[in-house]
Amino acid sequence: METSGQLLLTVLMGAFLLGVAAFLARVEDWRSYTPLGAGGGAVGESGYGHAEKPAGLIRWLTTVDHKDIGLLYGAYATIAFVVGGLMVMLMRAELTTPATDVLGSATFYNSLLTSHGITMLFLFGTPIIAAFSNYLIPLVIGADDMAFPRINAIAFWLLPPGALLIWAGFFPIPGVIPAQTAWTMYTPLSAGVGAGNQANVGVDLMLLGLHLTGVSATMGAINFIATIFTERAEEVTWANLDIFSWTILTQSGLILFAFPLLGSALVMLLLDRNFGTTFFAVEGGGPILWQHLFWFFGHPEVYILVLPPMGIVSYVLPRFSGRKLFGFKFVVYSTLAIGVLSFGVWAHHMFATGIDPRLRASFMAVSLAIAIPSAVKTFNWITTMWNGKLRLTTPMLFCIGFVSNFIIGGVTGVFLASIPVDLVLHDTYYVVGHFHYIVMGAITFAGMAGIYYWFPLVTGRWYQRRLAKAHFWLWMIGTNVTFFAMVLLGYGGMPRRYATYLPKFATLHQIASLGALLLLVGGIIWVYNIVTSWMEGKRVESGDPWRLDETNLNTAEWDWFEAKRETSLAATDGGEEVKTDGGQESRADDE
Amino acid sequence: MDENPGVSEGYRVASPWPLFVALGIPIAEIGILFGLVPLAVGGLLLFCGSIAGILHENEYVASAWRGLAVLSVFVIVAGGGLWYADAATESDLLVRAYSMIGTGVLLLLAGVGGELFARDTEPTV
Amino acid sequence: MAEIFDRDTLLDLTVNVIPLGIILFFVAAFVILDPFSSLDFYGRVLQMGLLAFPFVALAILTYVSGKAIAGDEKQSKVFFQGQATMEDAKTKHEVEEAIEAEIAGDAEAASDGEATEGGDADEADGADDTDEADGADADAAADD
Repeated sequence: METSGQLLLTVLMGAFLLGVAAFLARVEDWRSYTPLGAGGGAVGESGYGHAEKPAGLIRWLTTVDHKDIGLLYGAYATIAFVVGGLMVMLMRAELTTPATDVLGSATFYNSLLTSHGITMLFLFGTPIIAAFSNYLIPLVIGADDMAFPRINAIAFWLLPPGALLIWAGFFPIPGVIPAQTAWTMYTPLSAGVGAGNQANVGVDLMLLGLHLTGVSATMGAINFIATIFTERAEEVTWANLDIFSWTILTQSGLILFAFPLLGSALVMLLLDRNFGTTFFAVEGGGPILWQHLFWFFGHPEVYILVLPPMGIVSYVLPRFSGRKLFGFKFVVYSTLAIGVLSFGVWAHHMFATGIDPRLRASFMAVSLAIAIPSAVKTFNWITTMWNGKLRLTTPMLFCIGFVSNFIIGGVTGVFLASIPVDLVLHDTYYVVGHFHYIVMGAITFAGMAGIYYWFPLVTGRWYQRRLAKAHFWLWMIGTNVTFFAMVLLGYGGMPRRYATYLPKFATLHQIASLGALLLLVGGIIWVYNIVTSWMEGKRVESGDPWRLDETNLNTAEWDWFEAKRETSLAATDGGEEVKTDGGQESRADDE
Repeated sequence: MDENPGVSEGYRVASPWPLFVALGIPIAEIGILFGLVPLAVGGLLLFCGSIAGILHENEYVASAWRGLAVLSVFVIVAGGGLWYADAATESDLLVRAYSMIGTGVLLLLAGVGGELFARDTEPTV
Repeated sequence: MAEIFDRDTLLDLTVNVIPLGIILFFVAAFVILDPFSSLDFYGRVLQMGLLAFPFVALAILTYVSGKAIAGDEKQSKVFFQGQATMEDAKTKHEVEEAIEAEIAGDAEAASDGEATEGGDADEADGADDTDEADGADADAAADD
């Protein structure tokens, strides 16, 4: 049995490698074929390979164009968001009753809990930000492409295998069960010791998958730092760099310091699990070591996720307020301040672990200090809108929703930074409500603002306005119903991460599930709207679809869009986008 | 700008290698972690082959075959490290060490062989 | 340096002085009130180090970024965010001058009293009615 398994694996692997070789041979053959003699001879010396894009699926598998990669990131994040969202809908269904009547077992609930968290943070949050930054930053800062286009592609392609590994436990593979460690993967549970079932290989696969997404994020971060430092157009000085690029630059710096540490900690955990090392064993480094390493990564991760959405809001919100961003440089400096301070607050996640109270006090001090830059940004957004000529378009609604939800999420967070309050609320639904206000109410809302705002830029078409508004209102109400109920549950003392609860919490849990249902309906509308509008939405009729020129608020990426429209209209009579690209492929003069 | 909208439209670029670099890493990782020889060998071949390919495409190395030979040294050294660790610790690392050393030797042979005999058939990219 | 860190720049940087001040406040509180008086030397170093590290790092980054931004502001043209590479973009200076001129002109004409820097009220009002008009049409088009 063992031998036949190995044999089968060998045959499969061999067949796969042969397939790869055949594919490469075909693509290489295509690549040496230059249909338009012009520039073909010089291609080899360019360092860029060749001057055309293949068609169909192969285009997407081989692309190193930042815009294509941005779209791939976007599609990937959308799929992950749908998966993570469906997972949490199962959980919310379970939580409509105090006992495990719906899913049947707490084990399955725990698996969903773990995967929902990791999926949303690592497979949706980071990639959706990368979608915006890949597509837009080279356009906005006037760069030809990312500094390292191929590394960019590698960073993206690491993600799909990462997702498959993280979800591996849910697939019908014999002997593999999903991880149930929660996204924090606290030892000793995640080290697989004791009587539980977490020694299962499913946890190893999840750790490997997480490791891959970490490598991917690090490669992306290096790329963005190099791009923003070296590839800016001459006019884009540090004083002229837009706020979104600033947040991506800061985020990339955070990733550079945080993710390699997560990778190392994951490798140590894998060694503990498989090779008998004692990094996180009581007789070795101790379980608390994991928490220190994890949160030294984990707290910057929070800002890795929230800074670029703040950048999107700072970028989009002024466009529909009819005026420039108030206190632009305040926002830039406070972004940098958040970046630095985020590395000095990690142990505020560990106030209840019994760590030394004198160290706890220091972490509290810095945690309170980091609230200031965030508050500064909030005041800047509000003062930007103050007396402005607001246009309540869908992106603007999502921006305002962001500010509103961010205030609730932020204020609930400031209380958690205070040790005495935290000791009461630690590990309750209050914490869950707080951070969902941020990750759903703020980060995802900003993502949606970005998606609607740049939808015409990317697709050349309009989304359906009424559906988009319905999406916003369902989400705005749904978010507040769901997560405010959670804040109240936390005040009542409902602990996190349980599939069952006391009957006295039933009403609030049912309200939260109702809110989640609204979110589900809104999400379905969103996916429908995006897909149908992409395929058959009304075409955009000018290069300035938001009419930003009227208020002198136009920006570089729409300038690019306008130029692209003009060229493609001339070349292909405004045909499909694929043809648009085709129309420009003949230009080899850049080589 | 007029002639060349879409700052990046001018660089129509595609490369088949990044996808396989990215696939090689997880396959090799799984193979080495769980001691599955076919995956370890196959993943490392895929990874190192793609790295050699991408380096050649970027013209960081003049010949993909020579790049492959250099990479094989790293694989053999890493395998040797595991082989040493197997003797020094209680963990059973031998099968992993052998699969890495074996892959390294394969890569070295491919690199040397390719350099000597297969140069002309290499795509003239 | 004296030229780069003028009054305006220092005012911009106050945003980061506040968190620095909060950290300093706690340093002073821990020293004066000394709530953990039995601290050994090592504990004291850790406690203060955890405050000192973010303080120093933030101070350095604020200085470096302030120098880069304010320096570029003085050496080259300043545009509003995202507009630097646009062909017809006006610099910040030009926009501000235009506004001042407009306000000066308004003082005589006494008409458009409140011209904000972002464009004038009538245009924006018009935009209100028709915004996303394309999107509304698309509704009908795509629902067919």
